[in-house]
Amino acid sequence: MSHTILFADIDEPGLATLDVYRRRGGYGDRLRKALQMPREALVEELKASGLRGRGGAGFSMGTKASFMPKGQIDKYLVCNADESEPGTFKDRELMQKCPHMLIEGMIIAAYAAGANRSFIYIRGEYVQQAVIIERAIEEAKAAGLIGERILGTDLDLDLWLHRGAGAYICGEETGLLDSLEGKRGNPRLKPPFPANQGLYQGPTLINNVETLATLPHIIEMGAQEYAKIGVQNSTGTKLISISGHVERPGNYEIELGMPSREIIYGLAGGPGEGRSVKLWFPGGSSSPVLTGDDLDIPYDFDSMAKAGTMLGSGAIIVADDTTSVVDVALKTAQFYKHESCGKCTPCREGTNWTVKMLERVKSGEATPMDLDIMAGVCENIIGHCLCVLGDAMAMPVGSMIAKFRPEFEEYIEQARAANPWGSSEPPSEALAAQGAFA
Amino acid sequence: MPRPQPPTITFSIDGREVQAPENTMLVDAAKLGDVEIPVFCYEPKLGAPVGACRMCLVEIEGIPKLQTGCSTPVKDGMVVHTQTDRVKAAQESVVEFLLINHPLDCPVCDKGGECPLQDISYGWGGGKSRFIEPKRHFQKPLELSPLVAIDRERCILCYRCVRFSQEVAEDYQLVLHERGAATYVGTFDGHPYVAPFSGNIIELCPVGALTSRPYRFRARPWDIEGSGSVCTLCPAQCNVTFTVRDERVLRVLARDNAEVDDGWLCDKGRFAYQSVHVDDRVVQPLLRDGGELRPVTWERALDEAASALRRAGSRVGALAGGETTNEEGFLLQRLLREALGSEHLDSAGGVPPQVLHALARPDLQATVADLEFAHTVLVLGTEPVDDMPILDLRIRKGVRRHRVKLAVATPRPSSLDPNAKVSVRYAPGGEAAFVAALTAALFGGDVDGPARDADADPDGIRAVAELLRAGGEDVVVLYGTKLLGAGPSVAPALLKLAGGLNVAGRPGAGLLAVPGGTNSRGLAEVGVLPGMGPGFAARPAGDAALGTNGIAAGLAAGDLTALYLLHCDPIRGLPHRGRWERALDKATTVIAHAQFLTEGLLAHANVVFPAESYAEKEGTLTHPDGRVQRLRTAIGRQGDTQPEWWVLAELSRRLGEDLEVISGPMVSQQLFDAVPFYAGLTLDVIGAKGVRWAETAAAAFPEAPELGAGGDWTPAALPNGALRLGTFRSIWAAPEVERSPALKFLHPRQRLEMAPADAARLGLAHGDRVTVGSDGSAVNATVTLRNASPSGSVFLEDGIPSDAANVLDGPLVDIRKA
Repeated sequence: MSHTILFADIDEPGLATLDVYRRRGGYGDRLRKALQMPREALVEELKASGLRGRGGAGFSMGTKASFMPKGQIDKYLVCNADESEPGTFKDRELMQKCPHMLIEGMIIAAYAAGANRSFIYIRGEYVQQAVIIERAIEEAKAAGLIGERILGTDLDLDLWLHRGAGAYICGEETGLLDSLEGKRGNPRLKPPFPANQGLYQGPTLINNVETLATLPHIIEMGAQEYAKIGVQNSTGTKLISISGHVERPGNYEIELGMPSREIIYGLAGGPGEGRSVKLWFPGGSSSPVLTGDDLDIPYDFDSMAKAGTMLGSGAIIVADDTTSVVDVALKTAQFYKHESCGKCTPCREGTNWTVKMLERVKSGEATPMDLDIMAGVCENIIGHCLCVLGDAMAMPVGSMIAKFRPEFEEYIEQARAANPWGSSEPPSEALAAQGAFA
Repeated sequence: MPRPQPPTITFSIDGREVQAPENTMLVDAAKLGDVEIPVFCYEPKLGAPVGACRMCLVEIEGIPKLQTGCSTPVKDGMVVHTQTDRVKAAQESVVEFLLINHPLDCPVCDKGGECPLQDISYGWGGGKSRFIEPKRHFQKPLELSPLVAIDRERCILCYRCVRFSQEVAEDYQLVLHERGAATYVGTFDGHPYVAPFSGNIIELCPVGALTSRPYRFRARPWDIEGSGSVCTLCPAQCNVTFTVRDERVLRVLARDNAEVDDGWLCDKGRFAYQSVHVDDRVVQPLLRDGGELRPVTWERALDEAASALRRAGSRVGALAGGETTNEEGFLLQRLLREALGSEHLDSAGGVPPQVLHALARPDLQATVADLEFAHTVLVLGTEPVDDMPILDLRIRKGVRRHRVKLAVATPRPSSLDPNAKVSVRYAPGGEAAFVAALTAALFGGDVDGPARDADADPDGIRAVAELLRAGGEDVVVLYGTKLLGAGPSVAPALLKLAGGLNVAGRPGAGLLAVPGGTNSRGLAEVGVLPGMGPGFAARPAGDAALGTNGIAAGLAAGDLTALYLLHCDPIRGLPHRGRWERALDKATTVIAHAQFLTEGLLAHANVVFPAESYAEKEGTLTHPDGRVQRLRTAIGRQGDTQPEWWVLAELSRRLGEDLEVISGPMVSQQLFDAVPFYAGLTLDVIGAKGVRWAETAAAAFPEAPELGAGGDWTPAALPNGALRLGTFRSIWAAPEVERSPALKFLHPRQRLEMAPADAARLGLAHGDRVTVGSDGSAVNATVTLRNASPSGSVFLEDGIPSDAANVLDGPLVDIRKA
């Protein structure tokens, strides 16, 4: 049930140029059709398509666009191309190979949102992609696709590319807005939501690259047709990035609702010979992990939520049975500790504390009681933070402790045996029984 | 702008029905129902809530996640819980998180005992920690500035200090470095955080991370007392609390009065208390003997003073300085008028009393809070941050939060220029012409002529006029009273401005003066004016009464023989230093009340009575917006100091006139009875927050005389190769600042502010030492180039002990490389 929309022509040579993109139907009738629709009808069309945000939160794109206030005020459209979620690299390929699809989607979204100024905030590490997009913007401007009275309609749109400086938190929409304004990239308190007060206090629509790039196709196919792809509440196709212990890592476009096993084993070839899936992140490193027993869950928003995790950005990271769960937990926690902006207490202190505890687990200075504390700390972070960065550490690490507790305990015992005097706690009787101190 | 008046709604908190104004933040609304929601980062004075500390999480029915009470506006019918297990668990977890990196060094921490983190840990914390890792370490303590020490280990990163710097003081110096758990507060490049309002961050800090360097380790909360009073170091008259230990003032804290200071203090007000306890304060009577001032007994000093005054009789002149209280001023005019029969006294620096009377009209007065809610504010001829610092913050707040449109018209570049919609410069000496041009631009007439005379941009003047006319009805004009001395046409023009803009009687609009002295308004109202008694009552002497300039001339000419100086040193404080030198040289007797022997007193005083510091005084002051405020004694008088009222009464008694006062409050009462619009006031009525008589007793205000048109203006001097001299007095130019060890580093040295173009023409560079001269007098200064400085004019600082600008008479100066 492979169904390609965004990636249909992705490997076409020269697709990044305006000519080839136009030959493939870009900026053609579908754009004209979108811009000739009444604005309300366009928003309704987007709602009807059932398209959910591809950046991680999975909020209905059309509904978000409908939150934009009406009236003659400065409104903005921002494309979140910060793609900083570990394991996610789908937008990278999309922007690199087909930047015009994004620009075309932005024109449609800007029209739907009533915005005249738009920005692409791209992560600082995407240097090559930034150059490609910059070139594409120039081409689009030269062709009159960006600027005044686009395609002879009343739509005026300006588009800027802004490169970030490599902070994960700038992928959080309000942190991104602060950074775009030239401030320290810290998330803002919500409400007000960006649709009311976003960039420069103006109403702002923020969407992910993939979400925006899907819009031209929805218009082309018609919302009804698009909604037929995928499953209930998870319509359309999704770009997924698979990495980790699989034979064929990379980006794939799938129809939502595909069984996860088909993705991991079918498309990506599964882990190597003789190994099995031990745990996998279904939606980037901030999603609670699933185990090898969960491979038959259909890959769509609702099924993932039902399984206690999330589809997130569509980044599947697979770890096979040679991997230590402690290593995975520590790496994950270290990342979030490093990227925590420090604005709110639970995230700033909680991520830091968790890392310190996991380091003690590694060095043999921890006791099983630390696992309880760690689980408690994760619990205290979740839902108490200003933005979701804290949750993004606490959920996967918490899930690892919950699902792999025996392995953690075993690890602690072994690490302590290797370093019996590392802990201030007296060594356990179990260790003594193993003859560790003989 | 009408101030928001939200409807009252009813919500439920912990089972109680509570009424609150709609959209109040939950933590504030909860207080109305006696429920406390703990907070660290929330402080409404800092602007919109940031929700960073997460301490105020509460449960709201209908919302699945816990919400921050600091950022949730209360709505009708909202049901809030702060005591559920879920909320308690969240609160305990936040306290636990905050404490994991916070050193538990409370026993040696200055904040211990008055620490919100301590209180909240006890009240809402779990009481135990599960954290056994090493804590975060920083070098400690470090100097954030010479006034503030920073202990980064104690910091809980609540953002308050950074928000103050960025959003209240707008000095943009404090920032957060790094991120996550490694975040720390500092300045961008590590330079010291020196700014006029930097001390406020000490009070804002909810932990012991930012402490006052002068106060560090001087006391603990359980051995101090707080004593509320008013700061008398500038006309802002901010409300303060003195921290007193063993009869010593150890600290000054802000005492929030929304109508006066909005809860902030400048660093002068916060740290210059040190001058109360310095060794070179005058604490016993001094008498000049053999050319030197020597300590004597009170009896001797009073006798000498009384006999000198008796000899001089009606040929005594008197000047009251800005720090004189209403009571002291009132008794001074009684001493002069009743005991000596002299009418020669002044407190207004030469501004005609009729002008002060006309401008004191209650219907014209804007309040301090009006600056925040007006449609348009015009700052005219004053630099708030120097002249009345706390207003600078108020104006910034108005512009930032209530979108007040600001116009600035000053000779010298203003620190408010970046916030202003229009800024216009005029030449020093061109004040009267400028005001004439502005009224012409508003109400018709020739703009270009007077604008040329003021060396001001006529289009800029038109832009200011347009803003005033079209910006909205509520216009506040904040003017420096220095303007009034610039010519007889200024005050009529101001009145015309007020009349034409329809501000009279309009709440939220009006004029607000920035006077030269702390209590200038009060002193005028209690009759320390030539020819006007208490309550602006005309005196029979009329124009024969000499004012400031007349007194100088009278002394020099020998018409007056004695000078009585109440908290005033004309050599330091008044313009035309040369003229005063000659006057004091000629005077037979100079009697002064002073805390410090400034230059003029050291050289010329015959009798010096030790004066009380503001922490020792009782009495009243009148704020420039007409608010009568009460000074209360915080500490006992130092050394042999006696209250000024007693000295004045005693002198009077020796001169045969019993003033019938035997206590401070008796003087207050006498004064309230003597000034018609103070009638009904008592010290109790004034209380802690003061009373604006313009609101309570406007009807008793005696009708002011018509001022007439005031005639023409004199144009500003044409530079013709030389440069015009403008003067300014910095916030730090005060004897109290000079004598406070902590503020010594701010003590100004003369600098010559000039435009780069003028400097280039004269071959001068930034930092060059120069001699600035006019009419045979000269001062030394260091060239300071300011890009925004208007060319053709230079600016020198006034009110400083050496090389002060008042040595030069101007209007033009020559500049030579030293």
